[in-house]
Amino acid sequence: MQFNFRPLAIARIVAAISLAGTLGACALPPKDDPEALAEFKAANDPFEPANRLVFAMNNTVDTLILQPVAVTYRDLAPVELKTPFENVITNLLMPLSIIHALLQGDMERADKAAQRFAGGVATLMLGNTLPSEEPVYEDAGQTLGVWGVDSGPYVMLPLLGPSNFRDTTGTVLDFFMDPVGYIARPGGSIARGVSRATINRSKNVDAVRDLERNSLDYYAAVRSLYRQRRDAQIDNGQGESQPTSPTIGIDSDAPKPTTGANANGSADAPKADGG
Amino acid sequence: MLRRTFLAASLASGLLGTRLTAAWAADAYIDASAKFIGELAETAIATLTDQNLDKAARRQKFRELFNQSFAVRGIALYVLGRYRKRATEAELSEYLQLFEDVIVNTWADRFTDYAGQKFDVNGATGTPSGSDKENAALVSSTFYTDPNTPVEIEWRVNSNGTVYKITDVKVAGLSLAKTQQDEFGSVIRANGNNVSALINKLREMRDS
Repeated sequence: MQFNFRPLAIARIVAAISLAGTLGACALPPKDDPEALAEFKAANDPFEPANRLVFAMNNTVDTLILQPVAVTYRDLAPVELKTPFENVITNLLMPLSIIHALLQGDMERADKAAQRFAGGVATLMLGNTLPSEEPVYEDAGQTLGVWGVDSGPYVMLPLLGPSNFRDTTGTVLDFFMDPVGYIARPGGSIARGVSRATINRSKNVDAVRDLERNSLDYYAAVRSLYRQRRDAQIDNGQGESQPTSPTIGIDSDAPKPTTGANANGSADAPKADGG
Repeated sequence: MLRRTFLAASLASGLLGTRLTAAWAADAYIDASAKFIGELAETAIATLTDQNLDKAARRQKFRELFNQSFAVRGIALYVLGRYRKRATEAELSEYLQLFEDVIVNTWADRFTDYAGQKFDVNGATGTPSGSDKENAALVSSTFYTDPNTPVEIEWRVNSNGTVYKITDVKVAGLSLAKTQQDEFGSVIRANGNNVSALINKLREMRDS
């Protein structure tokens, strides 16, 4: 029966990931170098070899299916259709956001999500314009984060993309918690998921291409960005927990070998034996 | 009773006023940082989006602006992180040069397609600088690639009274310095902790 499709699929994915981990695709922590060990723990990616494999497969699927669909949608769908469509999809995520904002004790964001949802319903019926403010997105992974649950190891989920143990648990929980999911199951929530993926992908076509082209290690860049984004989402951009690059200052910038900011000084600096 | 309340209120507001003025004077660097970013953006958009510039000239202009306004060496060393100790003197100086070259090439070329974009500075707040000789401010801004696509950009600006330098840029909440540090660290780790592997990759990217 189609009803059971999604939890089963997710359970299979989780099982596949843990299996991949136990089957020896696991990176071993460096034993003799304490600094390297600290770095290994900071990267928090013990399944890196398996994750990289899944990442490569996801990118293939993206190149073959998601990206072409997203580009087509971006370039060919008329704005008159896109705006209401994207608003509906956004609003269908608001009930879940309200629940999680409440679970996080954040009345302000619960209120914002509720207003967005109500505004959306009114818009559908009366043709009002939607608030320009960014919608509030909350999910179970963020709620667990607010409750102090550690992210756990980083995992790359097939098709779903970057995650970690906490956020994977969150994805499973949200399947059961999402009110829209109950009403619209099974076709509706799958359609919403696919629509949302297409919309999101259509908005970052150039950014993703740029990142891929200008990265020395695309996988590591995505891992870093995913972590930073989730941390920012958990503290809703208000956190002082991770000040950016605290060690960079004018002081650390001081002893520049080629003095002066003039153009020639920099351009003529020794390029060693490069090229 | 009413009079007393009024008295208390005016006293409180008077005190508050004094406090605010004092705080404003001590925090002058915050406004100055916001002004610094606004002026830099104006200069950058005016000089780098000039359609008559060829690739080399645009890169050259970007390099000048980049060295004037960013703590380039400081950022490069932060990005190299703990592997700085593993680098020889020669490796370190080549790395610093390559870091600058690669950033100049990628970012200067991005300005080629930019035309008529809007940039707004929204405000600034103080943030710990990690040094008692310096102040640091976070300047928030919005860049519109087109009228419907705002991108939030946050600039971390360090200052010491006379010099203002950008020490990090956050795009949509994501730190470029942190991302690059994680990425470079991964490259070095995957190659037996050799900084030379990173240097080779950077050289390839610069020359490509």
